[in-house]
Amino acid sequence: MAVTTNALPAAEVTRPRTVLVATMFASAAAFMAFAGVLVIYINERAAADEWFPAGVIELGPAGFVFATMILSVFTVQWAVQAINNDDRLNAYMALGLTGLFGAAVFNQLWFIINDTGFALAGSNAEFLFLLVNGVFLAFLISAVAFLTLTFLRALIGQYGPRKADGVAAAAFYWDTVVAMWSITWYVVYVAK
Amino acid sequence: MAGLYDALTTTDHKRIGRYWLRSGLLLLIGAVVLGVLLGIEGTDAESTDLFGGDNAYFQMWALYRIGLALLVAAPLLVGLATVVVPMQVGSTNIAFPRAALAAVWGFMLGAGITVVAVLAGGGFGAVDRVTNAERDAIALTLVGLGFVIVSLLLASLCLATTVISLRVKGMTLLRTPLFAWSILVTCSVWLLTLPVLLANLLIAYVDLHNGPGTFGGDASGSLAIYGQIAWVVEQPQVYAFAIPVLGILGSIVPVTAGVRAARHGLSAGLIGLFGLLAFGAWSQPYFQNDGAIPHDEKFLFIAFGLAALLPVLGAMGGAGDTLRRGGDAIVGLPAAHLVGALGGGILLLLGVVAGALRVIEPLELGGSTDQVEGIGTLAVSGVASLVLLAAIVAAVGGFWFWAAKIGGHELPPMLGRLALLDLIGGAVLLGGAQVVSGFFDTVNHPLAVPTEDIADTLAIVSLIGAVLIGLGALGVVAAIAKAVRTGATATDDPWGGHTLEWATVDGAFAEPPALVTSESPLLDDEGEDA
Repeated sequence: MAVTTNALPAAEVTRPRTVLVATMFASAAAFMAFAGVLVIYINERAAADEWFPAGVIELGPAGFVFATMILSVFTVQWAVQAINNDDRLNAYMALGLTGLFGAAVFNQLWFIINDTGFALAGSNAEFLFLLVNGVFLAFLISAVAFLTLTFLRALIGQYGPRKADGVAAAAFYWDTVVAMWSITWYVVYVAK
Repeated sequence: MAGLYDALTTTDHKRIGRYWLRSGLLLLIGAVVLGVLLGIEGTDAESTDLFGGDNAYFQMWALYRIGLALLVAAPLLVGLATVVVPMQVGSTNIAFPRAALAAVWGFMLGAGITVVAVLAGGGFGAVDRVTNAERDAIALTLVGLGFVIVSLLLASLCLATTVISLRVKGMTLLRTPLFAWSILVTCSVWLLTLPVLLANLLIAYVDLHNGPGTFGGDASGSLAIYGQIAWVVEQPQVYAFAIPVLGILGSIVPVTAGVRAARHGLSAGLIGLFGLLAFGAWSQPYFQNDGAIPHDEKFLFIAFGLAALLPVLGAMGGAGDTLRRGGDAIVGLPAAHLVGALGGGILLLLGVVAGALRVIEPLELGGSTDQVEGIGTLAVSGVASLVLLAAIVAAVGGFWFWAAKIGGHELPPMLGRLALLDLIGGAVLLGGAQVVSGFFDTVNHPLAVPTEDIADTLAIVSLIGAVLIGLGALGVVAAIAKAVRTGATATDDPWGGHTLEWATVDGAFAEPPALVTSESPLLDDEGEDA
């Protein structure tokens, strides 16, 4: 006997993980925008006879940024785990700590940009170096803003074990930004 | 004031979709007028000067090419999807309706800025290098297009999330109606590729104001900015604007034939494959290193160009088979929506065939090495014209099919057939003549002088095509205006539809949709095999 649609009971309308799904799409788009800039950097560097003069870019500060970003992956996942366990205090602390790591990275990157003394109009190398780091800073700021919003929403009780997808979404976007820096660190700073 | 307040605060996906459609139609009229003017100029560019100089001609030429994709085809498809997709997947609304509303207003703002900035002397570069007088207007054009892209990305985000997260129970991804599925594929490709275009615009913008002048500043040549963004209207990326053609075909043909579509899963797979082959962010000739193999001679480019034939041929074959099986149901003149769906499919097939010819290197449709580097022949524009007009024709077919859901009005069928035939005929003449011109080495640049006499004849054929497209577009607008004025109300399901949108009453579900057990849920209660 053929099963007929109308003979069956009406299904519940579900809204599973809408924010998380949208964030995944948005993160993919953000990553591609960043990759668009980074690939042009790589392409122009491959075509150039000479790129940066030796010793202009130091590896140390960029390495500290990388280490900080790796640490932040653990703290942001700590926040997800804590909110799923309804451990609000730990969730607040983990979100706050991740945001603090973001601020530290901003500070260190600002130092790096000033330390190089590059100018936008200087050369293709200087222009693209500043652009890659500038675009990364923009995504970093947006990730910190996302975390702050999530922190505030968690604080007023909008997230909990039954509804934790907002925190998971913020963590996913944060991890995407960490991935951006990991690639930048290797391509721009290590393999310069 | 209440109307404006409602327009700025509505969360109704049908209304938001109608805003997209109105914007797209308005810009379509602007584009066809510009297309006719460019066609007149193209027939004798050396002695005709409609735009007031080479620079203005180049700017309008570039606007037409980029605009046909991002300002006309994209909003028409997004508008249709915003109205239909939530209903098709059994949802009461689109995901994030406020974001969807922000997207449409952002698009209008961006489109307005882009058009005004070009009219003010901006555009995507300047033939004789960027001067101080042009710099601000060019920067404004880039900002406007940036707004357009961000808005399209936001709308894509809402639509893709709707299909992934808001499907009714039982509707697996493989049971998703083909139009909704094609929109998911389209939005995914847009979300992965349009941000790269945004990166190109950002580099050009910063360089224009503060950079070394290599990527768009006054030290660069005429094609510096256009060259960086032209990949978006060239194969394979241009196919990304026509993915929904296959979804519209797959939604309209089975309903018209009155039979369940065979091999729904295979059709979905073909649409997915076409989406994969439309991913073109990697194909940017502007950033090709000196001494490397030209991008259009690389294996991947050739493979993508040839493989794109497969899904389109498969989808057309499937549509033909469905029509054959439902032969008894099709009597008299074909419905306007069927003309639109099949016309869109045929144009897309012509486009991918022309694209396949382009990647066959001995034909030199991509441009021989002694031509202007990275531009190619007019066949490049021919492929874009055929593919983008396929998207527009299929979208117009969709208007006639889903008119009851879009505005509640029945659109006049005869006027629809005439308008669509005009559009299809015009597209064949315009795009076909451009592709044939490519065989005679006509360079894809407005200021290039054709090397063969036949190019002049083909330019006149192109102009006739542009005029026909203009008449078709006017016919579409007239038909919609007539339907709204006479108020011919459509029934909720005028065609005997197969998917959930046809179960809505006045565009809303009277009760929650029942458990879905196949890709054609409205046929299930007739006892047919799933």
